[in-house]
Amino acid sequence: MRLASFDRLQYWYPGASEPALRDVSLAVGEGLTLLAGPSGGGKSTLLRAFNGLVPHFHGGRFGGRGLIAGLDLLTTPTSRLARSVGFVFQNPEAQFVHGTVERDVAFALENVGLPRSRMADRVEEALAAVGALPLRTRRIVTLSGGEKQRVALAGALALRPALVVLDEPTSQLDEEGARALVAACLRLRDSGTAVVAGEHRLDLLRAVADRPLTIAGGRLEEGIPPPVPAARHRPPGGFGEVAWRLDGVSAVLGQAQVLDELTLEGRSGEVVAVTGSNGSGKTTLLRVLAGLLAPVAGSITRPPGRTAYLPQDPGAILHRPTVREEVQLTLRRSGARDGLVPALEEMGLVALAGRYPRDLSGGERQRAAIAAVLAGVPALALLDEPTRGMDAAARRRLVAAIDRLASEGGSVVVATHDEELAAAASFIRASAPGSWPPPRWSASPSSSGRLRARASRRRRPR
Amino acid sequence: MALGTTNPWYRGLVALAAAALLARRALPGARVRPLLRLVVAAVAGAAILNPLVGHVGEDVLVTLPPALPVLGGPVTLEGAVFGLVAGLGIAAAVLAVAPLSLAVESHDLVNALPDQLNRTGAAVSAALNLVPGLARGYAAIREAQVMRGWRPGGPLTWGEVLVPTLLTALEDSVQLAEAMESRAYGSGRRTSFSKPRWRLQDSLVVAAAGVAVSVFVAARALGAAADWHAYPSLTVPELDLPVLAAGLLLFVPALIPASGRP
Repeated sequence: MRLASFDRLQYWYPGASEPALRDVSLAVGEGLTLLAGPSGGGKSTLLRAFNGLVPHFHGGRFGGRGLIAGLDLLTTPTSRLARSVGFVFQNPEAQFVHGTVERDVAFALENVGLPRSRMADRVEEALAAVGALPLRTRRIVTLSGGEKQRVALAGALALRPALVVLDEPTSQLDEEGARALVAACLRLRDSGTAVVAGEHRLDLLRAVADRPLTIAGGRLEEGIPPPVPAARHRPPGGFGEVAWRLDGVSAVLGQAQVLDELTLEGRSGEVVAVTGSNGSGKTTLLRVLAGLLAPVAGSITRPPGRTAYLPQDPGAILHRPTVREEVQLTLRRSGARDGLVPALEEMGLVALAGRYPRDLSGGERQRAAIAAVLAGVPALALLDEPTRGMDAAARRRLVAAIDRLASEGGSVVVATHDEELAAAASFIRASAPGSWPPPRWSASPSSSGRLRARASRRRRPR
Repeated sequence: MALGTTNPWYRGLVALAAAALLARRALPGARVRPLLRLVVAAVAGAAILNPLVGHVGEDVLVTLPPALPVLGGPVTLEGAVFGLVAGLGIAAAVLAVAPLSLAVESHDLVNALPDQLNRTGAAVSAALNLVPGLARGYAAIREAQVMRGWRPGGPLTWGEVLVPTLLTALEDSVQLAEAMESRAYGSGRRTSFSKPRWRLQDSLVVAAAGVAVSVFVAARALGAAADWHAYPSLTVPELDLPVLAAGLLLFVPALIPASGRP
């Protein structure tokens, strides 16, 4: 059954000279459709055409024809299409209207004027469909990222849409959260709801997709190219002196003990990948190491020179009018004379150098932020979830940039739940098994055996 | 009542009733302590400052050298007590409105709007959901810019932190607007999932507050519940028993059980 069909769809964002969608023709029926493709290639744009956000919300020029659940895309507003198409966004933080789970899931039901007496059942049905019934009375702010995304999915399901569209739903989730979300999508598909998901992170979805698609440069093609094996540039070994060290460091966030007598060190030329689920203390570890959060116990040694820090949200960095000026700002501050062109080239930003960073796609923004942070020669680079929203090509660039830093004698610490990145050959892993509260850190056996992480046996009263 | 009289009895009563309500009903995680500290500081500040700058009153505690600008002159007991009572008025007024933010969920306030304002209520609720993110965003952005070599300085330097904070907030609100449209917001007449039900307790609270305020206003109009004056010399403030009894009704919200509200 055809739920949505596009015929030679063309779309230009307001003021854009190049179209974001070029002659896209597609018919979507039941099953799981997986849409892959590079950052800025048109994934988010095409997904938004399924419920009319493109063009109704975003404006711009539109060509071709779209039919969604029998309704003309061009003449039907998004609020009407919402009855047939549910939509889940990438960012779990900015899609909730109400403060509690059941109240928020009921939002769409309120909007279509469903009588109050029938709402409770529908909310329960939607929450059950995503395995989130136990969260029903919880406050949204107390949920993990993965739980939030499943509640957002329940909110999209409340109107019993025939089609659910998800825009990079797992990109900000840890392994556990991503698996639970994918499982919910599969249950939906099996119960007859069509699912369209756009993703960079293909490890979980590729094998289960009924129909793989790729969009690049606004053009749609059937199939998804096979993964390129992870880059293996630099053999381990050849490390220098100990460059940074946490010695018996304990840290608290609010009331919670996040790091508990952690001892961990890294040498110059060494890349340490810190893995573990959300809430296991990865970001706190980086913030303590950066000197942004004072530990309650223990001591920290950092190498002389600049410490570069990439926060989880690239939007926290970008504020200059162009990508070029973002990189120049860091170079100027660090006293470096040149390095602009290599920094732009390294992250594949030469063609985007004159663009306003906040107009870029999610993955492009991330690359701009990385270039802005790593420009020059930082002695220590701390990267928090650097592959968020990045496509395969950009990830290879990132690994190459990290290897370049290390080969120049820098130290790198990467906090990531991206298994592929953590498994890059030159990386050494430290993991936080289990999650909140409080994590027990341990080093996995590494080829060099140089990493020493000690787990404290004592459990502190919280 | 807090600001309608200079009589410390009544001001104290209002402050106590509000403090009792906060003690019983503050939301988990509500920042009551900082507020109390602020209130105590305001009262103490007024009690110390007033006698130093206003040199009126008969009971002189100490005389500062007249050569001192502003401060020079007699420091009187009356001045100190007047400052204390003025501070108490501020404390009572602040404490009386504090439960609105510290003991009631903002979403409950929005829910309580009449049906005609339902759509506006949903928009306000959505906006309120962005506030915690704004604070988190500011902290994260400040840290990221510090690590890029930013240091707080004159007003111009703050652009590096405030501009990304503002842009991030704008982007989040655009994203939220997209999410709301995608969930059929604006498609017609709305219904509401939960309307806080009006219960006996609510009637009690309103009645108690109504009686307290009415008695107070009536007493003032009839010349009872007199104001109190510190100058020229201290007197014990008058206390009208009917007004005191009415004032005690203000403790009703703190006393009735909180059952029923989720």
